[in-house]
Amino acid sequence: MKRCAPLAAVLVLALFALAAAPAPVSAQAKDTLTVALVSHAPTLDPHMHFERVGILVNINMFDSLLHRNIKLQFEPSLATSWKAISDTQWEFKIRKGVRFHNGDVMTPADVKYSFDRVIDQTKKSPQYGNIRAIKEVKVIDADTVHLITDKPFPLLLERLVFFPIVNKKHVETVGDQAFGTTSPVGTGPWKFVEWKRDQLIRLEAFDQHWRGKPAFKNLIFRAVPETATQVAEIKTGGVDIIRNVSADIVPELKTHPQAYISSTPILRVHYVMMDMRVPPFDKKAARQAANYAVDKPTVIQKLMAGLGTQVSTTVQPPAFGFDAEVKPYPFDQKKAKELLAQAGFPNGVDITLHSSSVADRPSFEAVSQMLTEVGIRTTPRMWDPGPAWNKFFQAEGKATHGAYGTWGNYSVFDADAVLHPLYHTEPGGWIGKWYARVEGLDKLIDEARSSVDQPKRKRLYAQIQQMIREEAPSIFLWTQYDTLGISKKVQYAARPDEWLWLYDAKPAAR
Amino acid sequence: MLTVLVRRVARLLVVLVGVSLVTFAILQASGDPVALMMPEAPESDRAALRQAMGFNDPLPVQFARFVGNIARGDFGQSFFHREPALPLVLARLPTTVLLTLLAMAVSLAIALPIGIVSAIRRNSVFDHTATLIVFLGTSMPVFWTGIMLILLFAVQLRVLPVSGWESWAALILPAATLATFSTPLLLRIVRSSMLEVINLDYVRTARAKGVSEWFVICRHALTNAALPLVTVAGLQFSLNLGGAVITETVFAVPGLGRLIIGAIRQLDFPIVQAGVFLIALMVVLVNFAVDMLYLYLNPQIRVR
Repeated sequence: MKRCAPLAAVLVLALFALAAAPAPVSAQAKDTLTVALVSHAPTLDPHMHFERVGILVNINMFDSLLHRNIKLQFEPSLATSWKAISDTQWEFKIRKGVRFHNGDVMTPADVKYSFDRVIDQTKKSPQYGNIRAIKEVKVIDADTVHLITDKPFPLLLERLVFFPIVNKKHVETVGDQAFGTTSPVGTGPWKFVEWKRDQLIRLEAFDQHWRGKPAFKNLIFRAVPETATQVAEIKTGGVDIIRNVSADIVPELKTHPQAYISSTPILRVHYVMMDMRVPPFDKKAARQAANYAVDKPTVIQKLMAGLGTQVSTTVQPPAFGFDAEVKPYPFDQKKAKELLAQAGFPNGVDITLHSSSVADRPSFEAVSQMLTEVGIRTTPRMWDPGPAWNKFFQAEGKATHGAYGTWGNYSVFDADAVLHPLYHTEPGGWIGKWYARVEGLDKLIDEARSSVDQPKRKRLYAQIQQMIREEAPSIFLWTQYDTLGISKKVQYAARPDEWLWLYDAKPAAR
Repeated sequence: MLTVLVRRVARLLVVLVGVSLVTFAILQASGDPVALMMPEAPESDRAALRQAMGFNDPLPVQFARFVGNIARGDFGQSFFHREPALPLVLARLPTTVLLTLLAMAVSLAIALPIGIVSAIRRNSVFDHTATLIVFLGTSMPVFWTGIMLILLFAVQLRVLPVSGWESWAALILPAATLATFSTPLLLRIVRSSMLEVINLDYVRTARAKGVSEWFVICRHALTNAALPLVTVAGLQFSLNLGGAVITETVFAVPGLGRLIIGAIRQLDFPIVQAGVFLIALMVVLVNFAVDMLYLYLNPQIRVR
């Protein structure tokens, strides 16, 4: 027996494994709130990424000038008040006595520094595009800052809701890299403890936070990529909040003894972007036919657990500029067939549609089938949501005859944030330059985005919505809900901006 | 003995140069990294950066520089994380190695005894049952096995955590999942190579000497049957190092596979290169270790 070498090897391996194992930690404590995210952002520096998973962590560690409450109203945060002095100049009063996690007092100099490091193009901040309209930040006195824009910039306040203020002295001392990995310092409700990449981010309540201490002492963001695993975790109490619960899981969690569902309409709108450069969708009648062909209420009921709202255009109901007078296309197969014949396709037409949205595959296939039923015989093609798709769809505009997509406005509650990327044809734009061709639309979008006169903007957006409803550059589908699975030991509600503002989370009364 | 060792080490170096050549070729074939680093910059800025980073030099010069940088451990900055690539990759290595070692240990602990008994009691009920059960394991897709194990042990029985890497208990399910995949092959190898030697003359002689049956099996039969086993186990180990990504995803294990797959999606070449190079290095080292084990197990090779 003593020379059984392989068995000995196994023993050695096992011993090695024992020595290298992670230390055990105690079970979930009551004052700890654990959130599952699919991944972590590349950095904790709130200015050096623009990813939802990173924003959700950052907002709980950093404050911005403005806050948005659950009813989508602006609230004072690090700025106590603000007003437009002229079309291009805004004044902000800065809150006094706010402390950073390291004890420093926040000053207007920190505000200026925060903007400057994003405007400075050598730092290559992915958020530069959001605030590039800001030309200069001026410190006026100990509690006043002026933001000067290069032209009227109606989205300024929207952009400031996520624009975290960082500590100038601290960032300059530790350097950008350490600030983003091992020592992020903000003024938010929780301060940084540790980050194990792709495993967990551990935060601890900041005693001197200006709003008062948050209800949970520890806040942990775990990276759990697999949905089935997240659902198992919430059922067993391993995590307290999971995001993007899919329709097939909702009934199960609704009746679960440990968990509940909180759901709310959000900005994310679903559409089929039609390629207007080539037949059949170069014809208005064909595009309208496609809009009449889709039975939106049925998809929402059967495939989305009812958690959706049909839309008239891609402008979402909660966004500024939405016009309720514009009505959705009804489901009318007869009308669709007539229009298709009118467009020159009495015997139908064969098309291909593309998508990379794995989560929406059932809806995509249902829409394709409904189009096929009226004679727009559709081949749905699914793509891996990676570099190849981005190149094909976005960089080179090759997704003929169209693509199923969703757009969330990056949480900007304004019609411009969906109209410009989808339909404006300027070369620097997103996908509009490839697929959209609506006469006169560019001019209206430009006019609305270069004014700070809100009633005027509202009128312009009403006009645009009537126009695109008629011209139908997309098949207008629905907006979806954000659906959270939440442990019964936590009181929290989903927000229309998909934020996890966990200062509002409270332990449930037992 | 020493010459064999020297020869193997020399071969190891050759393989590493080859790997670096392939990794370099991946970079060249993947397009223009400058376009990725500065997506919105005008062409003049890009040209300047291209010149500054040496992308305009002849390929052999670039390759020499690339090898030189690798030799100094410099794989460049991750585009995505904006940090040096190698430390990011190295930080993940222990997790993946630990997971792989655990899985191998579990595999061998199952495959060895069952394989030996199956060989001794060939075609018995035990043999057939063991084969059937173990083969069910390899027939299931890894992600499915993983989720089923979670549902059974974590959700129903509540004896183990669902996922993560924070406690000892959390390591059990991912290791078991990986093991269900690699055990059957090892089991078949143990069984068939045992069968090959178990009826040979020297085994009969040993029995005739009156040595105990277990000593015959372990000392005489198994040592001779171990060569193919060591080979296959080495291959499986290498496979798991790079191929544990599905298991890492299901169980939220912060391992190397997840990092590399993420980097591929984001075209983060420095991470991909560092990761591929490191895995290749590990594979070469494992093969080297297997070769050394050969020498130990089979004196004939030592003499040649």
